Amino acid sequence: MKLTLTINGKLRSIEIAPNVMLLDVLRAAGYKGVKKGCGEGSCGACAVLIDGRPRNSCLTFAAQCEGSEVLTVEGLGTPENPHPLQDAFVRHGATQCGYCNPGSLIAAKSLLDHTPAPTWEDVKEALDGNLCRCTGYVKRIEAVLDAASLGKK
Amino acid sequence: MLKNLTHVHRPSTIEEACALLAAQDRKNVALAGGTFLAESADLTIQGLVDLSRLELGYIRDTGTGYAIGAMTPVQDVFKSPVLQGPSGKLLKAATGRIGSTLLRHAITVGGNLVCVFPWSDLPPALLALDAEVQIRKGIPKRTVPVQTLLERNPRDFLDRAELVTEIIVPAFGPGTGTSFTKFAKTANDYGLATVAVRLTLRQGLIREARLAISGATKRPVRRPAAEAWLEGLAPTPALFAEAGVRAAQDLDLTQDFRASKEYRSEILPVLVRRGLEEALRQVTA
Repeated sequence: MKLTLTINGKLRSIEIAPNVMLLDVLRAAGYKGVKKGCGEGSCGACAVLIDGRPRNSCLTFAAQCEGSEVLTVEGLGTPENPHPLQDAFVRHGATQCGYCNPGSLIAAKSLLDHTPAPTWEDVKEALDGNLCRCTGYVKRIEAVLDAASLGKK
Repeated sequence: MLKNLTHVHRPSTIEEACALLAAQDRKNVALAGGTFLAESADLTIQGLVDLSRLELGYIRDTGTGYAIGAMTPVQDVFKSPVLQGPSGKLLKAATGRIGSTLLRHAITVGGNLVCVFPWSDLPPALLALDAEVQIRKGIPKRTVPVQTLLERNPRDFLDRAELVTEIIVPAFGPGTGTSFTKFAKTANDYGLATVAVRLTLRQGLIREARLAISGATKRPVRRPAAEAWLEGLAPTPALFAEAGVRAAQDLDLTQDFRASKEYRSEILPVLVRRGLEEALRQVTA
């Protein structure tokens, strides 16, 4: 079947099998920033925004995204022109092995879209679905709060 | 993976969705948030009926309570400015403990109820609030207590062509308090015993009590004998302790790698007692 959706602002039409997950479709289409961690909704490495909502792409049928707008970490910023959140993650060393970063950044972006001035608890809650196996939990909270305090999204 | 899936339908009306579910030539099943079906390996499923275009995502104040569309993500319940009072507090406490933020944006109120797991967090809250569900079969509809829906597997209770479209939650006036007590190994693990409580007091006595549990039995259940025993009595620490013991009696407790039957039978009376104490503290003037 044909799937038409917008990925990072670009309209795409992709031939898919009805039973595939969005995660696999995105990676096959070249969006390798979307990571497969657990594949069962526990780790959040695969998080993307679907119509503004942060979701596990491993538990989302690609077919559910017909007509949707999907944002992956590739749509957030580039190495030359990083998103303020990416900048803050670098400044605070909120990245160790880096595997959880794409998902954590997407969850953080969703938080700041709706809550521009979050509290520590707000950030903790917003990132509760993004496991960091290097246990860099404090630095990423500081990074998100710093990005928010700069008044940027 | 749904290996034999060949079709995905995207109906725009409830009538159309029910007609697709009724189809005899192919097994179509309803797709809400997708977290349950994404993990399913059911080889009989050939078609999905995506319910996302039925406009069932809403939370409304009806004057006597709340009407929540079945496709409302549980995150929206957790953060709802519409839901207030003892019912709102309990609904928010329960939905806030479901999985993680990422999962709460996907999981829907209707999906969480129909695809109930032993440890599901929202169903005990709905039981404690005497909530009902509206079920549609095309144009015809019926309203059924959540308790009736949960007496067996809801997917067996529902006719093949039926859809849960709305959850109806009553509001409770002065004198009511609610609580939600979940005991889990980590902040977002499944509860190994969870207790939802509603207490309504009149002139210092318990007029109505609701105790519902999940995580410890095959499906979420109410504890009617313990509820009835509480009614008409004055709330005291000794009474609540005894109610906890009674609520844990005659239960077919589950046993898994998270906890043994014996462990669950030890913690359940404690959680019920704490839940009752908290509900009493929350009683509104």
